[in-house]
Amino acid sequence: MKPFYLLLLLAFAATLFISCDNSVSNDDNIEIDEPASYDFSRDGESSVAYTGQTTRIKMADELFVSMSDFDQSTEELLLEMYRNQTENGGNTDPYTDADLNGSTKSVKSKVAASTDYFSTNASQSAIIKNDFEAWITAQVDEVFPNRNELAEPGKAGQIADGSNARYVSAKGLEYDQLVNKSLIGALMTDQILNHYLSGSVLDEGTNPEDNSAGETEDEANYTTMEHKWDEAYGYIYGTSADPKNPNATIGQDDRFLNKYTGQVSEDEDFENTADDIFKAFKKGRAAIVAGEYEVRDEQVEIIQENISKVLGVRAVYYLQAGKNQLSDENDGSAFHSLSEGYGFLYSLQFTRIPGTEQPYLTHNDVVGLLNDLLGDGPNGLWDVTSETLDSVSEEIASRFEFTIEEAASN
Amino acid sequence: MKRVTLSVLSIIILTVIGYSCSDDGPSGPDVLDFDRQSMLKNWADNIIIPSFTALSEKTEELDSTAERFASEPTLIHLEELRGAWEAAYLSFQNVSMFEMGQAMQLRYRDQMNIYPTDVVEIQNNIESGSYNLELPSLNDSQGFPALDYLLYGLSETDSGILEYYTTGTNSEDYRTYVTDLTTRIDELTREVNLHWIETYRDEFVQNDGGGANASVDMTVNDYIFYYEKALRAGKVGIPAGVFSGTPLSTHLEAYYRKDLSTDLLLQALNATQDFFNGKHFESDETGESLNSYLDYLNTIKNSDDLSTLINMQFDAARDKIESLDDNLVNQVENDNAQMLSAYDELQMNVVYMKVDMLQALNINVDYVDADGD
Repeated sequence: MKPFYLLLLLAFAATLFISCDNSVSNDDNIEIDEPASYDFSRDGESSVAYTGQTTRIKMADELFVSMSDFDQSTEELLLEMYRNQTENGGNTDPYTDADLNGSTKSVKSKVAASTDYFSTNASQSAIIKNDFEAWITAQVDEVFPNRNELAEPGKAGQIADGSNARYVSAKGLEYDQLVNKSLIGALMTDQILNHYLSGSVLDEGTNPEDNSAGETEDEANYTTMEHKWDEAYGYIYGTSADPKNPNATIGQDDRFLNKYTGQVSEDEDFENTADDIFKAFKKGRAAIVAGEYEVRDEQVEIIQENISKVLGVRAVYYLQAGKNQLSDENDGSAFHSLSEGYGFLYSLQFTRIPGTEQPYLTHNDVVGLLNDLLGDGPNGLWDVTSETLDSVSEEIASRFEFTIEEAASN
Repeated sequence: MKRVTLSVLSIIILTVIGYSCSDDGPSGPDVLDFDRQSMLKNWADNIIIPSFTALSEKTEELDSTAERFASEPTLIHLEELRGAWEAAYLSFQNVSMFEMGQAMQLRYRDQMNIYPTDVVEIQNNIESGSYNLELPSLNDSQGFPALDYLLYGLSETDSGILEYYTTGTNSEDYRTYVTDLTTRIDELTREVNLHWIETYRDEFVQNDGGGANASVDMTVNDYIFYYEKALRAGKVGIPAGVFSGTPLSTHLEAYYRKDLSTDLLLQALNATQDFFNGKHFESDETGESLNSYLDYLNTIKNSDDLSTLINMQFDAARDKIESLDDNLVNQVENDNAQMLSAYDELQMNVVYMKVDMLQALNINVDYVDADGD
């Protein structure tokens, strides 16, 4: 191509861009003012709040810790920690942290409770909520009485993992790990991706008009849309050392989504993950302040993709780690890894393909793969083969844009 | 046409260069040219089996002195039992690095030497009278550290300790617990030793190739893991507070006996250096070893033989440790800076062995730090 024509083409292209710009500036020419940290205010006061999310992360943490406290915990206590209610719906103080006892919130009420996935699917929500109760009950009924027995195929008890003891079910599952890792999907991810960042929540009722008009909620310093966004933020950063700059300690602030976002980002194949998630949260919040809802929705898609990826990578990582530990005849370490993998696989039904209302793996996909994992023989993980672990890993990886090799390294 | 010719030509040239490079590249012989089998034989026949056999004799003595003490708990029998415990504990330092074969299956080191020992759990076991020492959760209420507590830590005075075994409530249960521990130490040790002699020795020596499951690769990994985790971190780094930031004298080996901690550390260090040099058990003779292997490969670092550097570093660490108090509890509590510098000397050889030596021997590290959950 002769230089002259090239120049002409460039000039033409430039006019295209200019005309695009014009169309944007028709919309009041709003600019997004993005702060350096997650720091937003109105009239000199912070407009960010997510105490309910911090509370639930802490409740979930106490529940997990108490599940292996053989001396203090009872089935009743553990279920009350899950529900923050007695069996009959009465008030209870099951936590060691008095602030948690003073709260009326609970873990259970937000498990599988998102608008997009569960508002018209109460039966599935109930199944999932009950899975957690079943794991808690089984921990007390099966594992507690056998805590001083050696585990063997078909018999619950303890098994060595290095110099630690792991406490497993007759099928080799650690129920506390199932609860821990499954909550990352059923509570944190579901609430973030399918509830608070959902269009049906952010844009519910007159939220967009109120937000554009700067209309705050009663006795609050935030608009409803701002607050919904911040509540999503709280489920990943709600216990951060510095919540305005959470990536300074990402991975160290809880045992749930924060922790594994940090761990996945330590793998050089996924090193930008934590950064991408935080930047999208920050830019999206700034876009809400600016009333730029298209920019906001672009950030939502980045968050959908990356949080979903954290869960997918971690599921494959633990299944592969377990496979290698089994081949090293290190059953205790393997059962621990595979229990973590089981929980992350369970969590995948709460992921979300960007720009859709679909998870990367459906509830039925997940149930099928979990059955595969425990289905190589009568005794679950005691019987699982490396072929099964590879085929389940392959099925997960095929739904995402990463390979088993990338996920398995760390 | 011209371009095609040029690129073909350049490919040919590059190929020639590449070929000649790879031909000149490796200096010295291939790692698998070394007589790995004679090194494995030297390890098994002159170091590992004699060390386990010697320990097995000492644990048998430990168990029989414990039986005597249990049937007649006098001061004389207590002293006798303590002497046997000390001899066996020192001897154990010679084998702790060999966590393979049956030792790996049994998790031998975890049963013998987890410290700090769990005093509350020991008391619970004794009081309840029902305990299964095979449970992983009871690793820290048995082995040498539990005996350390039971023989030295129950009271400030010997007469106070003896009371637990004579007139105290549960005195019979205390005596039983001690013999249960010594019997288990003895039985596990005998099991590992016999397995080496009767089964594992030949398998170990025959498996003389390269790769992750070859005897050399596995042994060297176990050896470096032991040096890094059990010796450097366990005996020095953790009590000196290297990882926690706070010195933890209660985390020392032989915390209740106290003045044995430095000797245990020195014994462990000597054993690891002797293994490196292929030195026969309780003899000055040497055979094929990591040292001779590195020399065979002519491994140089900073213009010195790597084997020489490693031995100099072992010597430097020993000099430092010999300058410490016999009682490392005193050392940590009164002058922890010396403890930290001993750690630094030990750490240097982690780098030489785990990085430089493994690279030279073309062995991959088969362990990683757990993610802690």
